[in-house]
Amino acid sequence: MFLTRSEYDRGVNTFSPEGRLFQVEYAIEAIKLGTTAIGIRTNEGVILAVEKRVSSSLLVADSIEKILEIDSHVACAMSGHTADSRTMIEHARVEAQSHTFTYDEPIPVESVTQAVCDLALRFGEAADGQESTMSRPFGVALLIAGVDEKGPQLYHTDPSGTFWRYEAKAIGAGSEGAQTELQEKYHKDISMLDAELLALKVLKQVMEEKLSNTNVQLAKVTQENGYQIYTKEELQEVISRM
Amino acid sequence: MNFAEMHQPEFAQAPATERHSHGRWEPYVDNGGTSLAIAGSDYVVVASDARQSNGYIINSRYSPKAFQLTNNVILATSGYAADAKRLVEVLEQNSQMYFHKHEKPMSTTATAQMLSNTLYGRRFFPYYVFPILAGLDTEGRGAVFAYDPVGNMERVVYRAFGSAAALVQPFLDSAVGFKNQRNADATRLLDREQALKIAIDAFTGAAERDIHTGDWLDIYIVDGNGVQHQKRELKHD
Amino acid sequence: MQLQTEQLQSAAGFKFDNVKRNQLLADKGLKLSTAKKTGTTIVGLVFKDGVVLGADTRATSGPIVADKNCEKIHYLAPNMYCCGAGTAADTEFTTNMVSSQIALHSLDTGREARVVTAMTMLKQHLFRHQGYIGASLILGGYDVTGPHLFSIHPHGSTDKLPYLTDGSGSLAAMSMFESRWRPSMSREEAIELVKDAIEAGIFNDMGSGSNVDVCVITQGNVEYLRGYSRPNQRVEKEQSYTFARGTTEYYVPRAAPQPAEVASAMDTSA
Repeated sequence: MFLTRSEYDRGVNTFSPEGRLFQVEYAIEAIKLGTTAIGIRTNEGVILAVEKRVSSSLLVADSIEKILEIDSHVACAMSGHTADSRTMIEHARVEAQSHTFTYDEPIPVESVTQAVCDLALRFGEAADGQESTMSRPFGVALLIAGVDEKGPQLYHTDPSGTFWRYEAKAIGAGSEGAQTELQEKYHKDISMLDAELLALKVLKQVMEEKLSNTNVQLAKVTQENGYQIYTKEELQEVISRM
Repeated sequence: MNFAEMHQPEFAQAPATERHSHGRWEPYVDNGGTSLAIAGSDYVVVASDARQSNGYIINSRYSPKAFQLTNNVILATSGYAADAKRLVEVLEQNSQMYFHKHEKPMSTTATAQMLSNTLYGRRFFPYYVFPILAGLDTEGRGAVFAYDPVGNMERVVYRAFGSAAALVQPFLDSAVGFKNQRNADATRLLDREQALKIAIDAFTGAAERDIHTGDWLDIYIVDGNGVQHQKRELKHD
Repeated sequence: MQLQTEQLQSAAGFKFDNVKRNQLLADKGLKLSTAKKTGTTIVGLVFKDGVVLGADTRATSGPIVADKNCEKIHYLAPNMYCCGAGTAADTEFTTNMVSSQIALHSLDTGREARVVTAMTMLKQHLFRHQGYIGASLILGGYDVTGPHLFSIHPHGSTDKLPYLTDGSGSLAAMSMFESRWRPSMSREEAIELVKDAIEAGIFNDMGSGSNVDVCVITQGNVEYLRGYSRPNQRVEKEQSYTFARGTTEYYVPRAAPQPAEVASAMDTSA
């Protein structure tokens, strides 16, 4: 088995005899090395929470950004090779702006997600006679949170270019434990306040460091105000409620 | 001078039919005809005559200028019929692509913006078309959008474009816009039956005085129940 | 001196020395005036007992219908009528002028004028003006020599034919004549054919419209059938557009200040 794998895990476009694309599977493995990120959907909006690994006291924690705005009504949290997400988020932002320019309306959340996944699938692809721009799959997973006419939504994308819609989802190193916890604590009528708390509580359980207002990031996307990232003070207020 | 030269019919020299005047290719033809739309609180009425002409010649007595793009959006055109046809094909294609991509029909306002972009996309070789887009907005109110051939867009309550626009627009200003009338509420919107009557009268009047307008009248009424179409006879002379 | 000699030498006959200049100007983009015709359908035919003339009644200015029921069959003499296409003023004035000359001619000779006489007067007048009088005419009449039908073009050329059409609707009208005209038609057949020819113009040529006027000229008799066919009546309006009393804005002029008031006003300012 191992031998077979080593034969078929070089080319990104080559299936193994069992019908597997090993490079994609390895990329999915890479997510499991990343920091934990959590998303929770409520009827009022979506909460995103991420862990930052402040590996040195000399590291400026503010320079780590793992939640980013795509459009005023869509945001995204990430885990894995976060540098790869730059390309994806740039693409999502362009797609969102283009939609607004063309149709004078905000882009649907699922459409942004689909656009990102279309890009994620373009590895090893080249236009005739041209050099391929992406040689390998993205090593990053995203939690895309947004609101549109269908209400608040949360999507999870992975390096295979597949996406799923979730009520609550955890990705990254602590995802297994976190997902089990979310499964237990999540209920359909959870409020935004409870979702904030749940996100941080679950994150706290899977984090090695002690949770503080410098090593986590929290953001929300609501029908009323769209995307908002929590300031240190706002974050501290939630932590104090734990 | 021979007999054939003397009897050269004058319309053969009319500028509108001359596509090679001064030896240069003229890409556009004005095919005449008139379109209008009137918005109400919960409906729109769209009307277009169906005559297509060139100079003094009638190409077709029933060649519709108003098209149903989606479930609740109507596009009424005038100007160059071939460009109008192509424009409608492009819009229908975009509309279908949008439906598949986003799993919902394109709204009236989204269609309006998309049309503007489509027109501006040909800024330096425009579609020679004067479009009027009509439908219901997301609040269910009547919406009319009027454009110039290069995509300048304006949301209006009523508008007439085409060969009889100079006759019909002032009539609408009075009958729909209540312009220059003391004791009249200029913001009042007409009910559906009134708007329909005015649209019909605008066209029977235009057919009397504009030689390019006539033959048949296509009327579309869009409201919460959907789109209703009717066809009426106009004068054929 | 040189110039004078040249002028003297070419004093008689046509002069063509402006042709080259005009061509040069045209090449440089000068728009040379062209004969202008307004849209019309006019026809005439000869039948067993005389001639029938026909015309539509639409007058246009550009794409706008200026008159929905104008008269295009002009009176020339008791035994002659003339359909006019082209510039409305030219057809009106030309036929009027020839009409009065014919009347004087009849008085002088004590006879009914002949159709060829009117035709000759018209063509000579038009030729003299080199096409600048934009009148295209179909002349019909009945005189001592029988029925006659002529067409006269703006430059002065004429044709004598048993059936004629002119104006922008001439092709549509001629299609009826070419398929249905035959020698020695009855009066009823002739009128019907003229009506159908004019209606072909009315419906298929946008320069023509509204009603059909017909004029039947036979020996010693004329029947002018104004509005012989009216296939384009206006439909009733859906509603009335009368305005309530007091709708129109107006100003009430203020009374002019009295001279004394003006004077006192000037005083205070001073």
